[in-house]
Amino acid sequence: MDYKYIEQLLERYWQCETTLEEEQILHSFFKQHDVPEHLQQYADLFSYESEASQECLSDDFKQRMLDMVDEEPAVEAKTIKFVSRITPLFKAAAVVAIALTIGNVAERTMQDNSVGDNVGAPSIADTYTRTEDITATIHIIDRNQSESMAKADTVQVDEITRR
Amino acid sequence: MKEISFKNDILPLGDKLYRLALRITCNKQEAEDVVQDTLIKLWEGREKLKEVDNLTVYAMTVCRNQALDHNAKHENKNISLEDSGVDGFDNQHMPDERLIYNQRYEIINELINRMPEKQRTVIQLRDIEGRNYQEISLMMNISLADVKVTLFRARQQLKEQLKKQKNGL
Repeated sequence: MDYKYIEQLLERYWQCETTLEEEQILHSFFKQHDVPEHLQQYADLFSYESEASQECLSDDFKQRMLDMVDEEPAVEAKTIKFVSRITPLFKAAAVVAIALTIGNVAERTMQDNSVGDNVGAPSIADTYTRTEDITATIHIIDRNQSESMAKADTVQVDEITRR
Repeated sequence: MKEISFKNDILPLGDKLYRLALRITCNKQEAEDVVQDTLIKLWEGREKLKEVDNLTVYAMTVCRNQALDHNAKHENKNISLEDSGVDGFDNQHMPDERLIYNQRYEIINELINRMPEKQRTVIQLRDIEGRNYQEISLMMNISLADVKVTLFRARQQLKEQLKKQKNGL
């Protein structure tokens, strides 16, 4: 098998002329098991580097960090806290609104009932004012009638005099 | 920009930060301390993080500075690289493979850890983390040219050491 390409890449790697992609090719090449004898000395370096990039923190450490930061969620959720602080007020307002509505409805129902109880005064008053209105209208009609009757008389007189 | 979440934005950077901190401090426990300090620092300054272009680059910069501070404080401990060499291994291999693998792994690990901090950090960022030169220059706060020169020296040294080992065996 021809390793010219890999050898060329390696040479450029030592000169720091390879791109990240080319270095990735070298890493993948040295990850395989059948690396030729004369390149074997570099295999350890590249496989070490690939392996070292997988090193990570223990889950235990991460959990500890999460717990540590969770101790101060008040600062974390500044905006959320503001909204959640207001939410009970909304709830209170809603309760008050409902209470008022119910109260109003109840009051009205009560009023309706009381109107039914004493029909007297207001209806009499109503009738009374209406009667006054009617008498006033009758007066006006009367006046109009007498006026028009008077007019009719003069017309008759006129006609008689012409004859 | 959106709100920074510790669980979703900051904690996932932990592994990368840990590998970098491990490379700089050469000690698992110290690396964990550095990562913890870094994560807390990032979290406390999260309002600033919203304006950061590349969170990973920023976090790596903070982590390196924390690790360097840590090294300066524990200068004496840090010299004994031999003690901490095996410390950093993650045992993902089968038990029978592990022994052979760890020996070869240890040799390379020591070769890299024996380099000056600047060189081993560049090797870590380029060859292990696969970051581009621009990012490395930002993370380490050095010029692009400096990154390339440092990487060149580090790789040349590795090449020499590997050759020596081959001839020696």
